[in-house]
Amino acid sequence: MPKVSLENISMRFGDITAVSNIDLVIKDGEYVTILGPSGCGKTTLIKMISGILVPSEGRVLIDGKDVTGLPIEDRDNGYVFQNIALFPHLNLEKNVAYGQRVRDRPKDKQKEVSHRYLELVNMLDRMQMLPGELSGGEQQKVAIARALASGSRLLLLDEPLSALDARVRVDLRYDIRRLVKDLGITVIHVTHDQEEAMSVSDRIVLMRNGSIVESDAPMNLYRSPNNIFTAYFIGETNLLLGAVSRRDEKNVYVMLRDGSEVRVKETPFKRHDAVVLSVRPEYVYTANEGLKAEVEEIIFMGTYWRIRTTAESEDKVEYNVPIDNDLPCIGDVVYLVFNRKMTMAYERPRQGLEEAIKLE
Amino acid sequence: MPSIRLSEVTKKYGSTRAADGLNLEVQDKEYLCILGPTGAGKTTALRMVCGLTLPSSGRIFFDEQDVTGMEVERREAVMLSQVYSLFPHMDVQQNVLFGPSIKEWSEKDCNRLARSMLEMVHLSNRAQALPHELSGGMQQRTALARALASGSKVLLLDEPLRALDARLRIELRKELRSLAKSLELTCIHVTHDQDEALVMADRIAVLRRGKVMQVGTPKEVFENPNSPFVANFVGQSNFFTGKVVSKGEWTIVEDQRGVRVPARPCDMEIGEEVVMAVKVGNTRIKSDEGFLKGTVERMLYEGSNVHVDLVLCDYLRFSVKMPNRKIGEFEVGSPAYVSWNPREALVFPIPPEGLEEELKVD
Repeated sequence: MPKVSLENISMRFGDITAVSNIDLVIKDGEYVTILGPSGCGKTTLIKMISGILVPSEGRVLIDGKDVTGLPIEDRDNGYVFQNIALFPHLNLEKNVAYGQRVRDRPKDKQKEVSHRYLELVNMLDRMQMLPGELSGGEQQKVAIARALASGSRLLLLDEPLSALDARVRVDLRYDIRRLVKDLGITVIHVTHDQEEAMSVSDRIVLMRNGSIVESDAPMNLYRSPNNIFTAYFIGETNLLLGAVSRRDEKNVYVMLRDGSEVRVKETPFKRHDAVVLSVRPEYVYTANEGLKAEVEEIIFMGTYWRIRTTAESEDKVEYNVPIDNDLPCIGDVVYLVFNRKMTMAYERPRQGLEEAIKLE
Repeated sequence: MPSIRLSEVTKKYGSTRAADGLNLEVQDKEYLCILGPTGAGKTTALRMVCGLTLPSSGRIFFDEQDVTGMEVERREAVMLSQVYSLFPHMDVQQNVLFGPSIKEWSEKDCNRLARSMLEMVHLSNRAQALPHELSGGMQQRTALARALASGSKVLLLDEPLRALDARLRIELRKELRSLAKSLELTCIHVTHDQDEALVMADRIAVLRRGKVMQVGTPKEVFENPNSPFVANFVGQSNFFTGKVVSKGEWTIVEDQRGVRVPARPCDMEIGEEVVMAVKVGNTRIKSDEGFLKGTVERMLYEGSNVHVDLVLCDYLRFSVKMPNRKIGEFEVGSPAYVSWNPREALVFPIPPEGLEEELKVD
């Protein structure tokens, strides 16, 4: 059964270290997403797992077997690229049968397998068509069927949805998850899209500058990230500068730059420690008193309104208002309070906040 | 002042019509998003406004002056495309000044212009960098600075954020819009991303198969779509097909199995075949009561929301966006009810080509 272990792997291109000292174990049947901004090393990592690149250091084990130097064609992986790579002159049936054909399986077996996987992606009725006659989303479904039809129990997806329209992307990601879960195969999926990562995976591995920042189930990364970069990258959040002012038995209080105090989730920080607070817009509410802020912008978001404010503490704070509630006006003063359990405190980064959350 | 008008503009490539009688007005200083799926003719429309493509018929006006046949250079509109096409051997400043320098501006004026442009796009400290030394977002901002340095008041943006990371896109949406607003530009921004259009646009024009389906503010297009396609493309919708059985405070729609749902009052007659649409984001899930009963089939965590797919009455598929604080209340297999505010449910005639064809986004 495909369990993937990466043991201290690094990849250097000349002076540049694209991936440094990564240890990671992916369980059999697990759907893991490697997420991170451009240049974080995620594509290099999946290429090392697939055998397209040989790591400068470290080992790749699949089912306990060392495959580090083994070329891609001698491995049993399904691989789907961002640029849909179907054979343009072969019809869908033949495209999907390709893996069986190069293994010299009997003709009727080739057909049977091809039909089974085309059926799984709902494309069986169009098996005589050429790739050029399909839309982008349909082509990518066929590419996934082809990757699965090789019989591999490990599927590697390299930005499989990035070339598609936003709407098609959303529909297709649900399809992919359903399909691989039904088949029980192991998936490693690379993406820069945090929403995609959250909705498809069992576990997200967040990377930055060639290293793993944090790795956990999507909900844990969203609700209680350990790292300020995670809080910022996965979902939107408000970041406020402050320092721990006091703590009593039940609560920790953080003083913001205007002198106002905010209660936060239990943290190990001591009095006077400089911290950054993170609270997501959906956990910010208005009240009769609280952090004073001025409304700057009101944006329609479909099922809710997003209000952008600047607080007296000089922090930018955004919050949501349900669609049928009364709206403030631009220039209005509002008082903001935060859901204490969802207000996280992080150590103030030495390199400065801006640098700590930089996306590129 | 630069207002733009397209009148019955058609563009044929052989037998396909990339633009099919487009009528569209963009007001001075407006930020208009053209939203549509791939192949809708969005880029063709933009290229015709710019002058890079000539319409087969119809006319284009800038400030009510006919510019249909006018060359690109004389139109005072500048286009920023999804590939930034920076000159690879020129540094950021040289790229930005490419337009003014061929117009033979003095060095002093050029430098002043470059300084202000780069400051505006937060690249002052990278003026001497070559494009390949910049990240994607910085290249995009350089291209934007170059476009703006031409002094044009009309900015045409063809999927300007497409090549960037998802998270960065969210940040740049705010930046790009506020820049356009502070410079008082008239903008046409083409995108396939409905979230981007909702957040950035003063008005959205939904385009499909070379035709304008609907034009309105984000709120109008989202809340009062004029077709099932728009209802589903701008924020996903749940659909229910049946006949109107009663009209009054609400429209009641009943399907062949006798299942009934309420919707907003409509002009359709009793007995007429209709399709009801309600936004996924406006559909509620509860454990004890609702209009339709079913079972949770799938749950996908999306951060602030959980996307829930349900099978209702054993045959209907609905989806719901549930706030993440309710996550403990349901699991796969749980019985559940869905409901909605009938004011948010719309009734449309059955589309002539069938519902499935109508909803195609690909």
